[in-house]
Amino acid sequence: MSSAAVHSEAAKPVHADLASRSSFARVPAAFKLQFTVPSAMIGVPLIVFFGAWAVAIVIGLWIRHLADGEGEPFYTGASQATIWCLLFMAAYSASHTFPFSMALSYSRRVFVLGAFLAFAAISAGFGALFSVAILLERATAGFWAESYTFDLPLMTQNAGVLGAGLMAGAVCLSSMMIGFFWSILYRRVSLAMLWLTALAVMSALVVIVMVITQNDWWPHVGDWLAVQSSYTFAGWVLLLTLGLTVLNYVVIRRAVPTP
Amino acid sequence: MRTAIEITGVSRRYRSMTALDNVSLSLEKDTIHGLLGRNGAGKTTLMSIATAQDWPSAGEVKILGMRPHENEQVLPQICFVREEQRYIDDALARHAFAAAARAFPRWDDDLATSLARDFRVPEKTRIKKMSRGQRSAVGVIIGIASRAEVTFFDEPYMGLDAVARQLFYDRLLADYAEHPRTVVISSHLIDEIAHLIENVVVIDQGKILLQEPVEQLRDRAVTLVGRADAVAEIAGTREVLHQESMGRIVRTTVLGALDDAERRAVKEREVELVPVSLQQLIVRLTAREEAPMNSTTNPAMNSTTNPAQEVAR
Repeated sequence: MSSAAVHSEAAKPVHADLASRSSFARVPAAFKLQFTVPSAMIGVPLIVFFGAWAVAIVIGLWIRHLADGEGEPFYTGASQATIWCLLFMAAYSASHTFPFSMALSYSRRVFVLGAFLAFAAISAGFGALFSVAILLERATAGFWAESYTFDLPLMTQNAGVLGAGLMAGAVCLSSMMIGFFWSILYRRVSLAMLWLTALAVMSALVVIVMVITQNDWWPHVGDWLAVQSSYTFAGWVLLLTLGLTVLNYVVIRRAVPTP
Repeated sequence: MRTAIEITGVSRRYRSMTALDNVSLSLEKDTIHGLLGRNGAGKTTLMSIATAQDWPSAGEVKILGMRPHENEQVLPQICFVREEQRYIDDALARHAFAAAARAFPRWDDDLATSLARDFRVPEKTRIKKMSRGQRSAVGVIIGIASRAEVTFFDEPYMGLDAVARQLFYDRLLADYAEHPRTVVISSHLIDEIAHLIENVVVIDQGKILLQEPVEQLRDRAVTLVGRADAVAEIAGTREVLHQESMGRIVRTTVLGALDDAERRAVKEREVELVPVSLQQLIVRLTAREEAPMNSTTNPAMNSTTNPAQEVAR
């Protein structure tokens, strides 16, 4: 049987409804695309969250045991682990999920909207877990060892538990945007251009530090930091994230999903 | 002709090369088209641009009358799974099918399940751990089950064994019979897909060399096998595309159909009429089309070593 032979036998489908669809009708599907493999964006970050926390608690208990139950409160940096994990997961989204989304014929705009909404949901979840973890650490006095992974003075500064959660969520979202940016930039430009961009960013940061140092502005910076709360910090970080979001869309707009 | 894909003056230039050079093409709706060409001819670039995965340096593309780039009104009606498609890390086949079901409005889940069983796609193996053939099967299943109005297959047989390739051809044709749509298949295996395609597009070095319905193409030539003098008499002044000699017997492929008198002469002179294989015909015709171009770039190259002959290899 040839295709020519069957051609006239079949009925012609009508798809006028598709042509009148909203340009954003597939955003929920693009959002769910990020959770196609549940372990990637949910399972693995949760394992890292609780795993790093458990390790920090064990180390805290151990140190307290060595100090015969005495000593100052012990603060760990283990809460960062999930943020680093999600940074790489966002990079995976750009390197693997984006090419697959093109095979599913999503527009770049819809893919980006779905992905960034998913990142925002994940970050909100992380922020909520962060707040719950602070409450748990407070209720147990740092698991009876004054070992704190989430109830950090830097995070709760002038704002309390809710502010710390908001700050954690904002930092998480910002980190995911950074991970996504470098991965999609790698897809868009050559390796040399990628490193040149990284060097340019580092140079800009060094220049800022040198200008502050040269003008002896560090006391002013310290004063400014002291009056900030986690809420205002979160606001600044979200402002940075907004800039990164726009930058990411500009970069992905002409990215091509070659293997 | 109802047009599904309209490509006008499309060029795609990279720093040191031109992948597509002012390509214009009009492909009919609800038809299976074969896009044929050598490696690096521009097939994948053309399909990437037609499906809005890549951007042209110049020119315009319209799918179902609309520009596809960033156009959600037409994109859900297009499916293009690449030869070396990248999937979500750690994804199983069912994850990829579930994502495709949400993306394509006409997705048929039962068909996807049935195809996965027929192609023996492993259920519990991550796609990245599958063999090349199994990965190709995942792409083929998405392409068929998506029932996208315009579906592109980029050398879909890579890694598939003969049984799986035949299964692909049979299942695509069967589903196409029930749900007509525009299908573009790029391939090197011309004779293998000859029964499938209705229209042939040959591309080489970023230019369209030939675009013609298969039936019309087949009628353009005939192969005569017999004694040299008899074959020469029947061939007359027709253009000879190819000739092989085996002692006194010659096998000559000539352009142009035979009239009734010539057909009678074929019987009387004991000359055998052999159907021209699509692969051989395209090789000969493209070799002829390319000859002037190659004679200016490489005078030493003769027709037997012409790059166009590689099309079918």
